[in-house]
Amino acid sequence: MAKKRGQGIAAIIYGTGYGNGFPDVSSATVEIHDDGSATVHTGAVDCGQGSDTTLIQIAAQELGVSTENITLITGDTDSTPDAGTTAATRQTYASGNAVLRAVRVAKQKLLQYGASVLGVNTPEGLEMVKGVVSVKGYPQKQMSVAELAFQARFSGVRLLGEGTFVTHTTEVDPDTGQGAPYWPYAFGTQIVEVEVDTKTGKVDIIKAIASHDVGKAINPQNVRGQIAGAVAQGIGYALMEEVNLGEGRINNPNFSQYLLPTSMDMAEIEPLIVESDEPTGPYGAKGIGEPAMLPTAPAILNAIYDAVGIRLNSLPATPEKVLDLLVSKQE
Amino acid sequence: MAANLNLKVNGQEYQIKVDPAKRLLDVLREDLGLTGTKEGCGEGECGTCSVILNGKLVNSCLVLALQADKADILTVEGLAENGKLHPLQQAFMKEGAVQCGYCTPGMLLAAKALLDSNSSPTKEEIKLAISGNICRCTGYDQIIRAVESVVKARERN
Repeated sequence: MAKKRGQGIAAIIYGTGYGNGFPDVSSATVEIHDDGSATVHTGAVDCGQGSDTTLIQIAAQELGVSTENITLITGDTDSTPDAGTTAATRQTYASGNAVLRAVRVAKQKLLQYGASVLGVNTPEGLEMVKGVVSVKGYPQKQMSVAELAFQARFSGVRLLGEGTFVTHTTEVDPDTGQGAPYWPYAFGTQIVEVEVDTKTGKVDIIKAIASHDVGKAINPQNVRGQIAGAVAQGIGYALMEEVNLGEGRINNPNFSQYLLPTSMDMAEIEPLIVESDEPTGPYGAKGIGEPAMLPTAPAILNAIYDAVGIRLNSLPATPEKVLDLLVSKQE
Repeated sequence: MAANLNLKVNGQEYQIKVDPAKRLLDVLREDLGLTGTKEGCGEGECGTCSVILNGKLVNSCLVLALQADKADILTVEGLAENGKLHPLQQAFMKEGAVQCGYCTPGMLLAAKALLDSNSSPTKEEIKLAISGNICRCTGYDQIIRAVESVVKARERN
């Protein structure tokens, strides 16, 4: 049989955020407008991973309005408060928390004003759902968010909120390496099935199942997209991608020599979302950007071993390397 | 030195004078202001700048502008009709086939070129049709599913 199939599994733990005591701070501001809509300012930059969508959803959820009512302004050093880099799997968690805190401050101001208007002795006696502020237990007594916000402003109450979130991190002991460098941690497990061509050494990916703990999937479609994209990058890392350096120069500086996976290299990917509720995250969420890439390569190498009994100790598992190992195994 | 160039882009006729060293990609973006077409590698390896030229999918970075004289060109701006998104665009949105969005114009046109020549392609044919277009975000799965959903909707009608 020239082609042999095998399955491999790998599991990871990954610390999100900058870690090791590095300052990890996100800030946001929110203003609720006269019509009940709100504008959020934060430095968090969406590079395509979907943080804009996620942050808008968080603000809308907390304000009890639809996402169309949220305007998000990001990544403008003239006007947005710093929210750190889009790196380290940190924007949903750190900037999501900052937005949530900012919204809660603005909302509290609105509810405080609302308490006086609706004749409730504390703002805790009010709730804000679907664009309406109503008295808990007596919902007949209510006012639209828009009407209340409009009145508040003409009474001299500005509905502004600022939120800053600092991710917990401490430097590890330099002698022992012990400590609590990160929070939160991401967990994931992937199972990959491969087919190895024993005549050419080429490895094809048949299927990848990728199960990841994201705390809470604020936008499940975006989370699945992040996982599927990460598996694709993991396949590239495992089978193709290698920077070839020579005398200080990159010898393969283009896509015809540095190979990225194309649609033809891709397998069926089945992303699975595990929601464990991260108590420090916005609505229980934590990041998924980097961790979803990590189990793919070890799972593929384990699958190659399962298929043809060879262990690769360097990446990528190119046909040349696989074939060499197959030949020396036979000798 | 400038040369005359006659083009039809997204149904509109253009008569312009261009630097003969310009690529079709440059003319679309700089002279016609159609910045929906993106430049990726600039050497025909990534497919980002894909447009449909006389019915064929081409990398507009590899076409000299003057080679496109009298040609009929479709760019991503021409996909929507009368303010209504093309079914492929709607499917890309619905299936989450867009992440950073940089490959999206080229992907849409690669899929359009396929569907123009093959009304009911198989999954393998879809994968082959978009294989010249690199995507680093999605893992292609959602893009393939988006195209499949358009094919299925057509078969139902």
